[in-house]
Amino acid sequence: MPSLKEDLTAVCGPERVSDKLVDRICYTRDCGPSPGGIPGYVVRPVSTEEVAGIVRAANRHQTPIFVWGRSTTFIGNGIREGCILMAMDLMRAIERIDLERKLVVVQPGAVWHAVDVELNKLGWELGVPGPGGMFSCSIGGSVAYNAVPHGLAEYGMTGEHVAGLEVVLPNGEILHTGSGANEPAGHPHFERYANGPDLTGLFIGSCGVFGIITKVYFRIRRIPEAEEFAFYGFDSVDRAVDAAQSIQQQEAATHLVGLFGGPKPAGYEQYDAFLHIVVRDSRLRAGERRRIAEAVCEAHGGHPLDSNATRRYWTEHMYSWLRNTPPDYYYGNRPYTCPEVAGFIPTQAVKDAIAYLRQDAVEHAEEFQRYDIRIKCYDVYFSRNGAFIWIDTLYPELDERSWRYGLALRERYTDELMRRYMSPGGILQALAPVVMPKLGAGFELMKALKRTLDPNYILNPGVLLMEPEDTPQVTPEVAW
Amino acid sequence: MVRQETTAPAGEAVRSSQRHIDALKAIIYQCNRCGQCLDFSTLGLAAKCPAYWGGLFESYASRGKFNLARALVDGLIDYDEELARRVYSCTECRACAENCFKFLDTTAIFTAMKQDLAELGLIPENYRRALEGEMGLDVVHNVYQAPHAERLAWLSHEERVDRPARTAFFVGCTSSYVRQNMAIDTAETLELLGVDYTVLSDEWCCGHPYIAAGLLDKARQSLEHTIELYQRLGVERVVFNCPGCLKTFKHDAPRLLGRRLPFEPLHILEEIARLAEEGEIRFRPVSPKIVVTYHDSCTLGRWLGIYEAPRQILRRIPGVSVREMRRNRNLAYCCGAGGLIRFDYPNISTRAGEERLHEAEETGADTLVTSCPACLMQFQQTRNKLRSPMRVVDITQLIWEQIDVPGKPQ
Repeated sequence: MPSLKEDLTAVCGPERVSDKLVDRICYTRDCGPSPGGIPGYVVRPVSTEEVAGIVRAANRHQTPIFVWGRSTTFIGNGIREGCILMAMDLMRAIERIDLERKLVVVQPGAVWHAVDVELNKLGWELGVPGPGGMFSCSIGGSVAYNAVPHGLAEYGMTGEHVAGLEVVLPNGEILHTGSGANEPAGHPHFERYANGPDLTGLFIGSCGVFGIITKVYFRIRRIPEAEEFAFYGFDSVDRAVDAAQSIQQQEAATHLVGLFGGPKPAGYEQYDAFLHIVVRDSRLRAGERRRIAEAVCEAHGGHPLDSNATRRYWTEHMYSWLRNTPPDYYYGNRPYTCPEVAGFIPTQAVKDAIAYLRQDAVEHAEEFQRYDIRIKCYDVYFSRNGAFIWIDTLYPELDERSWRYGLALRERYTDELMRRYMSPGGILQALAPVVMPKLGAGFELMKALKRTLDPNYILNPGVLLMEPEDTPQVTPEVAW
Repeated sequence: MVRQETTAPAGEAVRSSQRHIDALKAIIYQCNRCGQCLDFSTLGLAAKCPAYWGGLFESYASRGKFNLARALVDGLIDYDEELARRVYSCTECRACAENCFKFLDTTAIFTAMKQDLAELGLIPENYRRALEGEMGLDVVHNVYQAPHAERLAWLSHEERVDRPARTAFFVGCTSSYVRQNMAIDTAETLELLGVDYTVLSDEWCCGHPYIAAGLLDKARQSLEHTIELYQRLGVERVVFNCPGCLKTFKHDAPRLLGRRLPFEPLHILEEIARLAEEGEIRFRPVSPKIVVTYHDSCTLGRWLGIYEAPRQILRRIPGVSVREMRRNRNLAYCCGAGGLIRFDYPNISTRAGEERLHEAEETGADTLVTSCPACLMQFQQTRNKLRSPMRVVDITQLIWEQIDVPGKPQ
């Protein structure tokens, strides 16, 4: 039998396969603090057929594949020593902008914002404005992890805008979902909920454990006519949350962000909590909805602040403007990293979550000081009927003790908030041991699906804890 | 090569050598691997790093090289020829630093790695030969393997040589040997403007090829040589037509030498733009009219921040209309000639040049104007290879042809 390298080279050619350490070591970890293993091979397919060929080769050689979009996540991608790393960055084309079906057809490695900009030139945009890593993240990765986007209050989650997928299954077969499943008609993708169960959903948020996304049919819309902004300060978290809930109920905001911890917006330190409000709509409706949101805030004791910060945050896509500060305020000149904790909670639970986090910071103040832990934010994107909270603590990455404390803190917060009410969104590898066992029958069903679809555990093993139960767990201590 | 026994993920350095890269650990750790250095997504589907978009692995791009730097300081890998191959593929276009999420000085990391590699004798072969060969930079003071004695062969104003003057014209290697029209156009423009200038008979390379190789001590020697000669002649300002040479003096020299320059370095475009703005000079109409697109040299732009002076000049020339390329100013794409990568990475260089020329063609312009001898050479070669009808000129040529001053023949 040919060697694995020979098989991979036969699929992709020698230029797109590397077993050199200097190449492999560049594909080990995402943006977060969790270390990863060094792959044995890096391979860069340019077509669905090549992806399928690589999967078949991996099965023949019983070597797992980890899929690499842009790796802009923060909670570990679980890459294992000696695996095949399949980098999707050469599959980055926009194949078609289909205004009739209101779809863009893109290869998975296309960068989110780049696709959006190309649509903008035609007066259109992606169905959601993209997640935090929009400037660099890939569309395929964002769908596979069901990334939480801006505009959550009106547009919902990334996955809601996927009309169909082309996927390579763990056995190398190519699958089309939704209306695209119709083979005799030439795979006409336009309706997700057709031809039986929603198979598209199986591949959204499942982080590539059931299949490799090779084409995304993503919904697009005309760019709304108007954008309006408002920014309010509140004397208490509770009043801000009540205002947010009322705005949700009246569907007044496209994007609604709450700031409940970390540094306060510059110039507004006298307030305890804040709401940024973005409204996108027709010229007539946008003004009306903004006025409703403002009235709600004022009814809950909110104080109007300069919404230029909101506008800059929204138009420049820079989180620092949420706190009325330029980008280098967060990010400049510090070797700090962020063990992010994030998940969905009921809107009213925000009150309890923030109280818990604030109390925890007080109780652990000495440890926080010892390990130089800084609270970057307790922020919330309000959805249509809930809240997506993310807790960013920063620690100095150069200090190994702080690094270990930061990882432990991430697990403690995730565990505690899940026991109360939280459901993580994109469940990444590093937190899977904390999250998955809490999912009961859902976890068992996922494991059964994995066993059936991927009996060799070829695709992203360990992600979502999808691997044989006797597999030894990789601990962060053993790798860079 | 892998140090499997290493267990510290982010702790103390596992080596105690005197490597340059180890001193930069705190900066290396600031990179959070966001990948914004890989492409210009704010412009749509647009390439940024020539090596990476040339189809190579991430190890050739900024994020990859930061990963390699981190692996070095963490003791996971050591320098070798393969690593050198990645590091020296950089055109030094600095696009990766332009919208770095953490505002990192990416090229400082690459330079430190090059210093270490150079000390280990790992400069790629062709580059090393151009520096240290029989007719290398060390010997003939240029990278074109041309005799030093022929450096001023282009000059018709011998009275300018080594004369005491307040202004000097630093010609640079490319203008001196392979794009002599640029030297002539610049000198003739200075003559027309009545500038009393000097040129050095013993001008050496500015030292940029040494810096790009990581040989900073040799760069210091080159700089010291030129500075001393200028001081003897009483030079107070030095005019350049090569952004690379200007950057070496203006940006690198103070850092390398630890002191301010005894003269003001400036690009001739800055002087022309100022004089035009003050009404001191005018331009004759171009006939027939031309449509130009301006290519921002990475060095003049991202390194030195000069974006508007060339555009101001072009706008002042009657009969010239300017169309911008999609990637312009700080978001301009590299032509592929930087970092002297042509010696060892002709494919990366050629591909970048072709992509940029195609982008220029897409504007509908008939003339591609640049302001750097390396860019000029790259685009002229690319145009010839692709048989493109695009005319390629350096802005100094347009200036000399169109400048309207008393005494200039019609």
